[in-house]
Amino acid sequence: MRALLGANAYTILDNIEGEDKFGTAPVRDAYFALTHTDMTKDLDAVDGFIQKNQYPSPMNALRSEWGAIGNLRFLVSSIGSITKNASNLNSDVYNIFCVGMEAYACIEQDGYSAQFIYRPPVYDGPLALNASVGYKFSEAPRILNDLWVLNLRSTLS
Amino acid sequence: MDNTIIQQGRFTSTGASVRVPIRSDVDWMAVYNVTQAAASQTTAIGVKYYWQRGFPAGAKWSTLKSNSANAANLEAYATTLGFTLFDTSLQTVGSLNATITAISGAAIPVVSNSGTNGIAVGDVVRITNAVGGAQLGGIDFTVGYNTLTSGTFSLDYMPQIVASTTGDWRKINFQPLFYPRRRVITNITTASQAVVTLSVVHQYIVGQSIRMVVPDVFGMTEMDGILANIVAVDETPTTGNTITIDVDSSAFTTFAFPLTAISPFTPAETVPVGEDTSSALALGADILADATVNRGSIGMMLQGGSSCPAGADNDVIYWVAGKSFGVDNL
Repeated sequence: MRALLGANAYTILDNIEGEDKFGTAPVRDAYFALTHTDMTKDLDAVDGFIQKNQYPSPMNALRSEWGAIGNLRFLVSSIGSITKNASNLNSDVYNIFCVGMEAYACIEQDGYSAQFIYRPPVYDGPLALNASVGYKFSEAPRILNDLWVLNLRSTLS
Repeated sequence: MDNTIIQQGRFTSTGASVRVPIRSDVDWMAVYNVTQAAASQTTAIGVKYYWQRGFPAGAKWSTLKSNSANAANLEAYATTLGFTLFDTSLQTVGSLNATITAISGAAIPVVSNSGTNGIAVGDVVRITNAVGGAQLGGIDFTVGYNTLTSGTFSLDYMPQIVASTTGDWRKINFQPLFYPRRRVITNITTASQAVVTLSVVHQYIVGQSIRMVVPDVFGMTEMDGILANIVAVDETPTTGNTITIDVDSSAFTTFAFPLTAISPFTPAETVPVGEDTSSALALGADILADATVNRGSIGMMLQGGSSCPAGADNDVIYWVAGKSFGVDNL
């Protein structure tokens, strides 16, 4: 956290104020930590980890959110980043990207965002035998300030 | 798309295998070796090759040419040394080989392995579980430019280590998808313009900017976090793979790759972050070289060599690849 704070990275999410509810804890304003769903068990075991159901107002949690530690709120995805067999003991290494506000952006292309294209069989030929479906998109994702992106690397326990 | 030829091309063989990127996931492919076909052949030699979806990896249908009166067997099917589909986005690591018997303490460390390693010059290998060489664990190395036999391979850009004993290795048959790529640092000189050695062939070009990540265990803490511009590159396979950066490290603490007892630690790395346009212009470099590009591709790997699809050295090869309306492999 000191690295992100020291680089003047803004947190993305506001704090969740504490409330008089049993088993809850206030949540600090936070950076995002983006990781794989496989990490959830290990996250649960971290000292001080706050499950999202322990937030004073869990409805403020994001759908993909798993919980918070300090100034990090963890978002998990089944397509999170894994570096296969990259530890000294041959284990998979999970990448946890900790990002501040506007650390990266995706530049929209005018009139060329993602398109899902379905063509009914009538376009195929006189006998209208075959439909087609596909997608196309063009995007330009970019890290805007690399000092606002950190990669925590971890194996599973 | 019905039976459409979706792509065609030509290349001159070096005798090595060739990866041909082909869009739309090819269903059939034919390859013509015009050099061999134009020559008079005493011994039958492959001049045309065919593959279609359903053939196992490495298979080929060959048409051979011979001017001999009694030539026979001019068509042949084989399951090796032919066509293999590839998809670099899969990022599949090679199988684990628990065959390292020693890693030498030579100036350029040499790994000894039992059995036959099957490594080619310039392959990338990941070392793990090295007893007495844990500092190498999980790091990828380009190998074989200095020493390569079936039982040994050099870690070409790794500085001298204390000799270690057993360990594991596996081939890494892919590059990270996006270029320019993050690389592990194995050495940094103390000089008016620091020279940085990287463990894998870096592919950087002059003008690119990198963020230096140098954890405390490497000694040269002054370098950590510095944004540097690349002012020169050295890609000499045996001795090079360095970049020179516009950072005066002459008064910095000496860089020292950690010993085995320090492991685990965070590797020192170069992280490409962009480009200094004025520096690039001054150096005559492409000012768009900081673009981050997905280099993933699908296509066909053609085996190199005589009577193989990618041909022998200097053979001119033509190819066509196509898509079928349907594939019914029952």
